[in-house]
Amino acid sequence: MAHGKKNRNVGIIGIGQTRHSSHREDVNQPEMIHEAIAAALKDAGLTMKDVDCIVHGNMELFEMIHQPDLWHTLGTGAGGKDTFRLTTGGTVGITLACASDNLVASGMYDIVMAIGFEKLQEGHTTGGITNMADPLWFRNLQTGALTGSKAYDLIYEFGEERAKKVSMTYRIIMDKHAGLNPNAHRSFGLDFAQADDLIKNSPKLVGDLKLIEMCSQSDGACAVIFACEKRAKELSKKPVWVRDHITVHREEVFNIFGYDDKYPAAQTQRFAAENLYTRNGITKPLEYFDVFEMYDPASWWGVDWFRDFMLLKGDEAVKLVEDHEIMIGGKMPVNPSGGVIASNPIGATALLRMAEAALQVRGDAGAHQIPKPVKHALASGFGGTMWTVLMMLEKELNWQEA
Amino acid sequence: MSEEGQMSTKNTDKDSFAVQGKLALPYTYFAGRVGSKFLTTIRDQKKIMGTKCPTCGKVYLPPRQVCQKDFTDIRNNWVDVGSSGTVVNFTVVRYEDRHLARKPPYVIAMIKLDGADTPMAHILDGLKPEDVKKGMRVEAVFAEKTTTTILDIDHFKPEAERAKTGWRPKAARKPYVPEPESGIEDKRRGGKPDMSKPVIICAALAGAATMKNQTPAVPYTPSEFAEDAYKCWKAGAAMVHVHAREDNGMPTHDHERIRTTHDAIKQRCPELIVNLSSAVGMGKTAEQRISQIVAVKPEMASLNTNTMNFSLLDRKSGKIFIDFVFENTFTMLQDFGKAMEENGVKPEIEVYDMGGLDNTMLIAKQGFFTNPMNFNFVWGVAGGQAFRVETFVALMNALPAKANFTTCGVGLDQFPAIMQSGILGGHMRVGLEDNIRMPDGELAKGSWEQVEVAVHAAECLGRGVATPDEARAIMGIHKR
Repeated sequence: MAHGKKNRNVGIIGIGQTRHSSHREDVNQPEMIHEAIAAALKDAGLTMKDVDCIVHGNMELFEMIHQPDLWHTLGTGAGGKDTFRLTTGGTVGITLACASDNLVASGMYDIVMAIGFEKLQEGHTTGGITNMADPLWFRNLQTGALTGSKAYDLIYEFGEERAKKVSMTYRIIMDKHAGLNPNAHRSFGLDFAQADDLIKNSPKLVGDLKLIEMCSQSDGACAVIFACEKRAKELSKKPVWVRDHITVHREEVFNIFGYDDKYPAAQTQRFAAENLYTRNGITKPLEYFDVFEMYDPASWWGVDWFRDFMLLKGDEAVKLVEDHEIMIGGKMPVNPSGGVIASNPIGATALLRMAEAALQVRGDAGAHQIPKPVKHALASGFGGTMWTVLMMLEKELNWQEA
Repeated sequence: MSEEGQMSTKNTDKDSFAVQGKLALPYTYFAGRVGSKFLTTIRDQKKIMGTKCPTCGKVYLPPRQVCQKDFTDIRNNWVDVGSSGTVVNFTVVRYEDRHLARKPPYVIAMIKLDGADTPMAHILDGLKPEDVKKGMRVEAVFAEKTTTTILDIDHFKPEAERAKTGWRPKAARKPYVPEPESGIEDKRRGGKPDMSKPVIICAALAGAATMKNQTPAVPYTPSEFAEDAYKCWKAGAAMVHVHAREDNGMPTHDHERIRTTHDAIKQRCPELIVNLSSAVGMGKTAEQRISQIVAVKPEMASLNTNTMNFSLLDRKSGKIFIDFVFENTFTMLQDFGKAMEENGVKPEIEVYDMGGLDNTMLIAKQGFFTNPMNFNFVWGVAGGQAFRVETFVALMNALPAKANFTTCGVGLDQFPAIMQSGILGGHMRVGLEDNIRMPDGELAKGSWEQVEVAVHAAECLGRGVATPDEARAIMGIHKR
């Protein structure tokens, strides 16, 4: 997206989420989603009448329902309103935010609500993901959402002992963060002293990807309300401004025949970051951003992508993790919410990254609020075929002046 | 496509593989607490409930946790809705596929149940697709084998003709409570009828002589009896009078068939009083007539009071079709009456003329009849007396103290007779045994339709309609 053409500014004025859990038998899908919507409306001090448009998303067929946006109308209040359904895989949550931003910025709507949800307990994630693969060459072989290649890469690069330790350190930091977030699904109370034991004893899923390092399957929903600058200032004491976002994917080269040097399919993270920062005049993201909510499906990816997103080199990122600089209170807090490893209602997951980043900017994150003032926040989304979305949030509307 | 093209396609097909795949996509869908209660209420109580929004007044069906209009939390605001409703729209499924619920063609209708504001989709069965109309009345048929899914309502079918039969009339009156015994005679003093009791309506479903070639509505099989009895109960009957039939329609004295018929009715409609005939049908022996009563032990049974002609005549020409003597000697009156009283079966004493009543009072001197005695004045049998207003009054005045009376009339006598009974404080019997037509001369759709007439007559008199339990209290019947 060429941000220079943005017609008008867009602010986040309402944030709601459910508690994330492995099981929500007590509510059906529209009922669960309604909890997030009611919370977002309450947060914004609005009623459904104020909302012009709904943007709804989740993973296609993960709950085995067709056109969920239509039958969720019972809980979303979308009856009689313009509604869009989006699905871009794992990124869908933050794609909802990008679309909402575009819809408001364009002048088409003044107030738009993004709704992301997933009730993974009801479906069969691997069954759903298997649909993605080529029936002729790949479907019989693939392992769903699990891949051990990143563990292999990091072990090759940093040696077995250091790589495994840094991955587990990252994992334990996420667990400690999740322990501070009352909405988080999983928090075990892990401690750094347990790292060696966990490396040894946690069951392996694929290669060196271990069960403890992998994200959860969660039920949950998130709703975020976006408003144009004028309405945002009228309605909210502390709107959080969407500065820019970028979406990158290399779906056309996603294949099973190995990597081609000319088409580095897996490198969308750094490409997205470089382009986003260049057009916004940011040269040192590690200095610029105060907090980063990253879509980290597993701790191995978390460590590696942190390097890409922050444009770091060599073992700079590994060192920051080893030194606990990504913890709340550290140099660059990553996922104060506990991240995806703690809670993963997929369709909501990437929207939660942005929502949690916005809460940090507002200073409303509660027990997992980082101690220093947050002016600039970054959120990312990730999807199966190497989709990357990055979104920048700002406390002040002052970046255009620069 | 050219011939050449087809050839090449065939060649290509020969060398090509197609992947025949199958993906397992298992899923679970949680109904939530609200949806769960909706399903289990249907499953366990055969009752349909919705949730009502106190803010906007809308009743949602299926129920919702939150009002979709104003977001009011309505999860605890349950209301009953009817199991009958109106078709607001429908479609006809005409293609066949494995996932479909029925073999096509079949109808899926949007049905708005009575008391609900939102329609629900369901299968509409029991009629041809071309006969479905928007606005038609339908009723739920609950599944016999439950699955805790929406298919615990197996389907909807056209409502049993009139809307009224969907609900047993609710009496806008206090429940009947028997008075101290002294009150009864006092109320008749001065020739004033005692109209304090609600009217007990009995439906004589079949008799021994009404056949399907006269009206297809007459029941033969146990399940037909049960369904008919149920409809009569829904319409307002407290009691059904039954002559069991074979599948070919012949009246039977076979204990097993009679028991099966009796039990089918009680199972379908446990509350209802079943009154069995001790006449059974033409040509049965005394032993055949009474042994089945002793064996089955219904709550009530008919007791006939005099030997009489009981024949089939052409009423216009006077020509005799079948001549028959209905034998009811004093000995039989005595033995049958004793057998019933000893077995806890309340006799319904059939009075075809004043002589029969006198016969009964003679035998009653032996003292085995328990109070209150219950008489049925029967009019219009070829061999008994025709309905006359003054004869009715004379019979009533000849009754012993504390006795109840009801009445039935054959053919055209049916409706005038029950109306006079209603005015005089008595009860009413209708049904296809006595008359196959409605007051306007049309064939009755079933005994239940005549029950509706009786209900209407009772309500016009301000007496209300007795529930089965009230009927037991009035007639001294012991519930089984």
